[in-house]
This record gives sequence, C-alpha cells and structure tokens, in this order.
Amino acid sequence: MRKLLESKGLSSVAASLIAIVVGLLFGVAILAVTDASNAIPGLGIILAGGFTGGMKGLGQVLYFATPIIMTGLSVGFANKTGLFNIGAAGQFIVGAFAAVYVGVHWTFLPAGLHWPVAILMAALAGGLWGLVPGLFKALLNVNEVISSIMMNYIGMYGVNYLVKQTVYNQLKNESANVATTAVIPKMGLDNIFYNLRGESYHDVSSVNGGILIAIALAIVLYILLNKTTFGYELKACGYNRFASQYAGINEKRSIVLSMVIAGMLAGIGGALLYLAPASGKHIMVVDKLATEGFNGIPVALLGMNNPIGVIFAGIFISYITIGGNYLQTLQYMPEVIDIIIAAIIYFSAFSLLVRQFFAMRAQRRRVASETEGEKGEA
Amino acid sequence: MKKLASMLLALALVLSMVCCASAEGTIELALITDSGTIDDKSFNQGCYEGMQQYAEENGKEYNYYKPTEFTTDGYLAQIDIAVQNGAKMIICPGFMFAEALGQAQQIYPNVSFVIVDSAPTVEGVEQIDANVLSVMYAEEQSGFLAGYAAVKDGYTKLGFMGGMAVPAVIRFGKGFAQGAETAAAELGLTDIELMYHYTGSFDATPEAQTLAASWYEAGTEVIFACGGSVGNSVMSAAEAAGKAVIGVDGDQSGESETVITSAMKGVSASVYEAVTEFYDGTFEGGRQIICDAANGGVQLPMASSRFKTFSQEDYDALFAKVVSGEYAVNNSTDDMTPGDLGLTIVKTTVVE
Amino acid sequence: MDYVIEMLHITKVFPGIIANDDVTLQLRRGEIHALLGENGAGKSTLMSVLFGLYQAEAGTIKKDGKEVRIKDPNDANALGIGMVHQHFKLVHNFTVLENIILGVETTRHGFLKMDDARRKVIDLSERYGLKVDPDARISDITVGMQQRVEILKMLYRDNEVLIFDEPTAVLTPQEIDELIQIMKNLTKEGKSILFITHKLEEIKKAADRCSVLRKGKYIGTVDVATTSKEEMSEMMVGRKVNFAVEKTSARPGKPVLVVQNLTVRAKHGHKPLVDDVSFNVRRGEIVCVAGIDGNGQSELVYALTGLMPCESGKVFLGDREITHLSVRERNVSGLSHIPEDRHKYGLVLDYTLAENLVLKQYFTRRFAKRGFLKFDEIRRYADKLIRDYDIRSGQGAQTTARAMSGGNQQKAILAREIDLGNDLLIAVQPTRGLDVGAIEYIHKQLVAQRDRQKAVLLVSLELDEVLNVADRILVMFEGRIVAQLETQNATAQELGLYMAGSKKE
Repeated sequence: MRKLLESKGLSSVAASLIAIVVGLLFGVAILAVTDASNAIPGLGIILAGGFTGGMKGLGQVLYFATPIIMTGLSVGFANKTGLFNIGAAGQFIVGAFAAVYVGVHWTFLPAGLHWPVAILMAALAGGLWGLVPGLFKALLNVNEVISSIMMNYIGMYGVNYLVKQTVYNQLKNESANVATTAVIPKMGLDNIFYNLRGESYHDVSSVNGGILIAIALAIVLYILLNKTTFGYELKACGYNRFASQYAGINEKRSIVLSMVIAGMLAGIGGALLYLAPASGKHIMVVDKLATEGFNGIPVALLGMNNPIGVIFAGIFISYITIGGNYLQTLQYMPEVIDIIIAAIIYFSAFSLLVRQFFAMRAQRRRVASETEGEKGEA
Repeated sequence: MKKLASMLLALALVLSMVCCASAEGTIELALITDSGTIDDKSFNQGCYEGMQQYAEENGKEYNYYKPTEFTTDGYLAQIDIAVQNGAKMIICPGFMFAEALGQAQQIYPNVSFVIVDSAPTVEGVEQIDANVLSVMYAEEQSGFLAGYAAVKDGYTKLGFMGGMAVPAVIRFGKGFAQGAETAAAELGLTDIELMYHYTGSFDATPEAQTLAASWYEAGTEVIFACGGSVGNSVMSAAEAAGKAVIGVDGDQSGESETVITSAMKGVSASVYEAVTEFYDGTFEGGRQIICDAANGGVQLPMASSRFKTFSQEDYDALFAKVVSGEYAVNNSTDDMTPGDLGLTIVKTTVVE
Repeated sequence: MDYVIEMLHITKVFPGIIANDDVTLQLRRGEIHALLGENGAGKSTLMSVLFGLYQAEAGTIKKDGKEVRIKDPNDANALGIGMVHQHFKLVHNFTVLENIILGVETTRHGFLKMDDARRKVIDLSERYGLKVDPDARISDITVGMQQRVEILKMLYRDNEVLIFDEPTAVLTPQEIDELIQIMKNLTKEGKSILFITHKLEEIKKAADRCSVLRKGKYIGTVDVATTSKEEMSEMMVGRKVNFAVEKTSARPGKPVLVVQNLTVRAKHGHKPLVDDVSFNVRRGEIVCVAGIDGNGQSELVYALTGLMPCESGKVFLGDREITHLSVRERNVSGLSHIPEDRHKYGLVLDYTLAENLVLKQYFTRRFAKRGFLKFDEIRRYADKLIRDYDIRSGQGAQTTARAMSGGNQQKAILAREIDLGNDLLIAVQPTRGLDVGAIEYIHKQLVAQRDRQKAVLLVSLELDEVLNVADRILVMFEGRIVAQLETQNATAQELGLYMAGSKKE
C-alpha cells in the first residue's frame, strides 16, 4: 500500500484532486448563475457533504457509495481490459432483481445463508448479463457498447415484467419487502454511524455490511488484476490486443471473462443496494435505466480504473451528492442541484481525462523525439 | 499523503461547522416530495399550492425538499434536513410517507406534520401522534359525482384509467362506477359499459396513451383519467379521437378542451387550512379528518364543466343527496375493481 | 555564395532531450543536398522546424538571404518550401488531379475550375518526366506513382525548395533510380532539393553535397563527389563501421520449418494474399524473404505464427504439423517470432520491461504458482536478460516499455525471443528504424542463432540487409514466391527485377 502511494499512486491522487477542484469551480459557476448570493455558502455546503449530517451523515455517504463503488469497479475492471462496459445499468438491475427474488421467496434458506445466497444469485444474473455482450464481442466482433446498451433495456423491461409477475407490491408499484433474513446485516456499523437524539434514541444511518463487502471485493479485484497470471492476461488484452494475440493469450476468452466479471460486480452492486434496509429499498417499476449503472462511469474514471481508487472515488461522489442534497436548505431547486452535482462529477472525471490525454501526448512526443524519425511520428 | 488527508479532513470539518451554523435555518414551512414533483398534477402539486398560497398571503418563508432516494430512510433523512433548516410545519404528500412519518412523529415531537391521503404507521399499524394531522378524502364520493353526471349527460360507454392501484385511486374508480349505476337506474338504462384499468404509475407513458386511443377507437366515449400525469396521455388520445375526458384531483378543464369535468378533491384547500390553523395556534393533531361532500372536501367544478345537458340544478340536487347520505357510496378497497359492488347495469371490463 | 535556404545555429529542445543542438544547414540554389544521420540524430526535427511544424528555441532561418519566421506549414508554403513526407498524405479514393489541387482549389461561383488545373498538371508532368495520369485514382496506382503525385503537389504549388523525407524506403531499386533521375531533372529546372536519408549508396548517386548530423549535433558538410562512403558513415556513426556482416558459410542441417502449398486469404478477400507457397528453412541457415512491402510477406508470417488462419496447405515445425495450432501451442512447440511492428505486436507498451520480457513465459511454472505471478523470479530473469543483451532503459526492469528507445525495445524483443531457446526464429524487419549500432548488433545475434544450429527466417524490405545476412533468398511478388536464390549468386539488380514482378524463375 505504501509503495503504491509513493510511486505512481501519489501523482494519480494529486491528479484526481486537481480534477475535483476543477469540477468544484465549475459547480460554483453554476451556483452563481442560479443564485449568486448563496453561491459561497452553497459551495461550503457541498464541500461539507456528509459531515453536515454528523455521524449518520457519514454513514449515509458510505451507504450511497456502496452501489456506485460496485458499478465503478465493474466499469473500471472492463476498462482495464480494454472494454467499455456501458451495460452496468442492466447488469445492476438484473442483479438487484435476482437478489430481491431470492430475498422474497427463498425463505427456506437458513438465516445466515439467506443474504449471501441472494448476493451470489445477483452475481450470477449480472454475470449472465455481461456474458452476452462478451460473447458477441469475442465471437462476432460486435462492439460491446452497442450490445450492452441493448442489454440495458432488455434488463430494465425484463425486470419490470418479472417484478410484476413474481415479487410485486401493487399498492406501491414496486417490489415486495424481502425477508428480514435476506437483509444484509449491519456488521456493527450501526454502532458507529448514528446520531444521538434526545436521551437514548439512536438515529441510525442506512449503511450496512454492503460497504464492507464492496471494499473487500475491490481489494480482491486489485489482487486479481495485479498479482495473478489471469490479471496479467486481461490487462495485456486491454493495453494491446494485438500483442496479446501474438503472445498466445486467448483473447476471446479474456474478453468473455472480463465482461462476465464486470457484469457480476455490477450485479452484486444491485444486490447490495436492494438488500439494504428491510423496509425501504424496493425495485420501482418504472421505465428508467438504473442511474447507479451510469454513475459507475465517472466513478471509474475518477478512480483511474484502479480498484482501490474506485473506492475513494465512489465515496467522494456519494459525499458530493449528499452535500448537494443539503443545498436544498438554501432553496436551490432539486433539479438545479442535480445539474450542479452532475456537472461537478462529470467535470472532475472529464478534466482527469484531459490530463491523461495530455500526459499521453507528452510521453508520446518524448519517445517520438528520442527515436526521432523512426516512424515519422514526430 | 497522510498530511494531505489530514488537511482535507480539517478543511471539511471547519467547513461543516460553518455550514452547520448556517444550516440552522428559519424556513418554518416545508414540503417533502415523494417520487413525484411539485408540478405532477397530483398531491405533490396540490399540497405545494396550498402551502404556497398561505405563505405568500402571509409573507412566510417556505421550501420544498426532494429526497435522495424514495425509501423510508430517504424520506426520514429529508425530514431531518427540513427540521435542521428550521421547519416547524411539514407537509407529507401521500401514502409513501406512512412508515417514515410513523417514525418522524416520534423523533420530532415539537414539529407539526400534515399527511395527505394517508396516515402514519408504526410497524404496520396506524398510529397518529398528537403532532400529526392525517387528511383523508372521500374519493368515492368525488368519483360518484363524476360517474353520475357523465351518465346523466348521456354517456353510456365509459372508461376508467387509474394510476397506481392505491386506495385513493381505487375509491375514485369504484365511486365512479357506482355513480354511473345510480344514474343509469334513474334513467331506466339497462346497459352501461365500463372499461377499467390501472396503469401502474402516475406518469404519462406511450402505453397509457395507446390504450386510451384503442378504447376510444372501440367506442368508449369518455375516460375518467385518474392518476396524475396519466391524464396527459388520455387527453392526447381524446384530442386525437375527438372524445371526452374526466379529470381528477384539481380542476383540469384548462388542460384540454376534451375535459368535460373533474372529480375534485380539495388537497390544496385542506393543506391551506391546516397551515392556517398552525399559525393561528389552533392546529390540532392526533386525529384524522375525512374531507367529503358534507364539508366541501370533494366536488365537481360546475362553472368550468362542459356538460351538454347536466345542469347546475341537477348537480345541486345530486350533491345534496350525497351529503345527506341518500346516495350512500361504498368506500371499501378490499377489491381493487368494482367487481364486489354487485352492479347490475354497469358492465365492467377489467383490462390487466 | 547563393544560398536559397540557410538554417543557422538552430536549437530545438524537447523535454529531456536536445533534438537539435546548434545545427547549421545551408542549401545552395539548384543543388541536391543530402541530410545524413542515424535514426534519432535530429534530421526530422530539423526539417520540421524548416517546415513550420516546430518552433526552434534558438537560431535563425534565412530564405534568399533574408531572415524569415516560419510559424506553420502555411508560412513554409508561402515561402515556396514543400515536403514529401515519408508516409504520403493522399486521399485514396480521389483522383491524382483532385489530390494535387486539394487545399488550393480555384473556384468560380463555388464550382471547381478543373480545366486550368489539369492543364498545369499535365504540363508539369511532361516537363519533369513524371508520366502521371491525372485521372487515375490513388488507390489504383503504385507506391512509386503515389510518390510522384506528392512531388507534383509541390510543383503545382510552385515550390522551389523541395524536402524529401526518406523517399526511397518504399521503392524498388529500379524505382529509386528513376526517382534520382527525376530529382536531377528538378534541379536542372532551378529547384533545390533537401534529401533526408541514411542510405549512403543513394547519396553517392544523387547528391551534390551532404550535411551530417549525429545525436542532434551538426558534424559537418562534405562534397559528395570527393568523399568516400566510409568517410561519410564514420561521420554519421562516430566510429568506423563494418557494413559487411561477418559470417562463415552456412552448414545447413535438417529442415525445421517446412511449408507446403500454403494459401492465405483475407476474410472477405477474393485474391489470395499468400498463394500456394512452398519452402523450407533448415537448421543452421538464414533464409530471407525479400520483396516490396505488401506482397504477402506479412500474411505469410501471420499464417506461420498462427495470427491468421491458413486456407490450405500445411506447415510443419520439426516433425509436428502446426497448420491449425493456436499461437500459444506454436510458441511452446518451438517457434520464436520477432514481429514486424514492435509497437503493435511485439510489446505491451504500458507494461514494464520485466513484464514484457516474460510475455511468452509468464504462465510457466517458472514464473507463476497457482495462478499468482512470481514477481521476484520475473525480476531476476528480467535483470539477467537486461545484462546479457545490454538492454538500456531509465529504470531498469521497471521501466515502462513505452518510455524506451526503439533500439532498446527491439533488443528486448530479441532477448525475449532468443532466450526461449526455440529451434525456429522468425524475424520480420528486425532492424526497421534502428541506428547502425543496433542494426549491427541484431545482425550479429541472428548469425549467432544460425551458428547455434537454429533455423532463422528473416523477412526484410532492405536489399542490403537481405544480401548481407541471408544464406538463401526467397523473393515474394503478389503472394507468390517468384525466385529462390543462393545469396552468393544474387545481385541487387536481379533481385529488384524479381521484386518488381518483371522477372520470374
């Protein structure tokens, strides 16, 4: 970990921080345009983020970070292997459905096994949703972006249909409550993230063991990518598919597996969110793609596709989003706040992209000038 | 790196302190929206308009808050923010708040709440604390008025298109069927058709519009569009087919020329009244009030209605009978469709 | 003296490297002036400064004795400076005429005025003996013709200073002779030519004077007629160079690679890219495939190495048929491959040198255990190869491959492939774009492989290399092997005729 931070890590962290500052400046600009007098306090509120809500607020930051860390891992992992997984939304929602279905119906499972099995089934469902574009890409060379977008819609409409058929709460037009045994345990986090109200009332955050699972998975992923032959092959395919063909790496297999793993990660994200609070979170039957899926993209970008970076990026974006929510106290309209937060997030991610672009160009130029004339690139 | 992190942390802490101080706001009137918006033509909008009307007449500050997620935790968190921002009176539109308010009424005993169309529940059981006013409506009476008027006005092929099958919507629909039955019996008609469907959301969708168009195509003359923006879909279909629509909740005659009348319930009026009581010091919680024909909570807007023959006198007579209980309207929601009402003249076709 | 262009004391610095260090170049009116230097010596940078692509940090440029500032290629154009780039900048589905007028179209009421342009192009073509058909489509004409279109582009714009950037790389010997003739015709008409190259032969044939750059520094300018090739090469490299590759005569043993009636076709192509090719490579010999770029050599190698499927025919490696084996299976059964494009195939540029050095072995028990890479072992192995093959890089084994120079990248690939100890080494243009020192080194290594009784198949576009290194030569033309020659019986002229398809065995 130390080594990581000292070497390439530090400059990446610095780059991410600079990107965030640029994003924030952009946010302030929009704040000022909509309501100049409140722009500075507004920025303060955004920056204060989850802290405004005390310990519970921090817990909420982790709670909202959980699903986007998972989709961020999904997108980032695929990116590392040279694939753009824009299908996280679909994988996320089919995973969520599988988890909810198991949570509602498989009550025969013993208490300690119910929620892990639900998460496992979500991983399988998400993996299946990643498998299809992976196979299309590997066998027929169909661009994964197109096929994953299709899978997003198939997933969304399919889940809407299946929720209505199997786990429907007609009254609220959403999925039914999952059994309490299917709810992910708090794993002690409820003893940290709460606000004390009155004498003894614990106003507990929604955060649960899901965040710990997400962090654990990120670490597993980090090891997989950086320490194993499998990760070596996947990254080689991502950096240079021709060279990996040349090296005898089974590129088709790598593509398929990479998409499956990405799908599984997003699917688990769906499970972690929808198995969170017993009473609250339900799959709503609406014709809308899961936003968590797309938010995975800026999370991955900001985290530089590094699984560890994605954890921090997810927490940051969640932090900012919650900060934005508090902006409502300054009577900014929710729609405007959505714009501001989206602008900050995407601008952060975007400026990072610009930085990467320039860094790459500078390096290319250096190499080109060293080996000047070699290919007429200079 | 450590240094950087600690610096950031310190910065955030300082800022949060600054903000917490400023976050102790003074906005006493607050509305938390559910998954809809304040222009959803449904109870979010009704509640907002009631609050806005009082606030602007009396120079009070008011604000509305949109939760980050539409779950009990999400609503609770947003109520918390409103309270931190100074809220003394919080309006919760709709049944989505039942569970959240069940907890909030205990966490914030010094804050007054109004919940529209529902009542707070604690572990599934209704429980209204002293700081909460639950406002319910006799939607079945409103629906009855509309159904009766429509049949009396000569329509025999009716349609009902509800949003989600929530109790309020179910009561509207079944009241509508009963009104049609009563009017048909009085007119000596023997056959009234009623197409019956819940779209499952309060959104305007192409599916709803297509279904409405197909009903009009098959002969339906008027559709009672009962579910927020679902009305927009039905109105578009009606405009294309040259048929009629009955609006809901508020007076929707301005939305489209096809709206012949609206089955109103006075959401904004009751919110206005509750807010007034709050500032007059006469707010009395711990109870549920039912707004019905007797206290003017439901009505048809006759001034803006586009009936052919149904007159103000007819309406006054009808209204009096509903108030007096001569026309007793069944308000059960056990069955979602009019199947359990034992209607003989109205033939209901439920479309899944 | 009448100088048309003077570049005086030019210094151009890139981050971390001085590409041009106080370089002076003076071009006389009506001369062919060669700019000689190894790859990386700063030739292209200097020309880019002249052409306005880069701004020099110091120094002045004079045109006709007057100081000028060239901020971009448009300025260069206005001063009558034109450039034929190494990679042509032509629109392939446009005609010759359309390409020539592109960017300087004359229009009337928004419509193109083609007649005047056509007349001018035909006129120029005849005057300089270019023989270009203005209505031919670029995609239908040969590379040599395309180059003439580039020349016509400069002439059409009335340029008087013409820069040729490595113009002979893509040409056959016969075409090179024609090009030199054209260049001489141009100077007779008063044009001045700057001719960038690292081939001494061509300088001797074409140029009047020659300026030499070495590692960004100006070494000197000589009269070509009175200077020997050896002297010039010593100026270029900084030491005496032995051009002939020292080797004993081959003692071929049993065949290692046997190719029988191999045919390869593109996925949807009609014409076979490799057409019924049969040959073998024996232990202890270097067999070289010669030919002009694009005559099926690349596809032949792809098919042999498994990157492209064989349509028909058979390939044997030793006793084993490998026609339909996967790349991995071929690699482990004894095939090493130095690919033609080291950036595209040879290296994962974003991987470290160490990771690249185990690209074909990372999965073996030596470097992996239960799916986990043994980084210590990889590091040790990389350090050993770096020592043995003298691979130089900024941070040793941890250097990103992208940050290494071309020569060292190629050395890394060579080390990786040779150290596999395989019986067959297929090397495709292994010296492309490298400096003389690296070329010497790689040639020596290839010969050493041969002397260790390995079989070497070399694909090269450079006739010098073919004649110097090979024991046996196969010439490919349009997918077929049109000649098999023993090197001692072959001449460059003869090979050129085979390569151009005008002679067949």
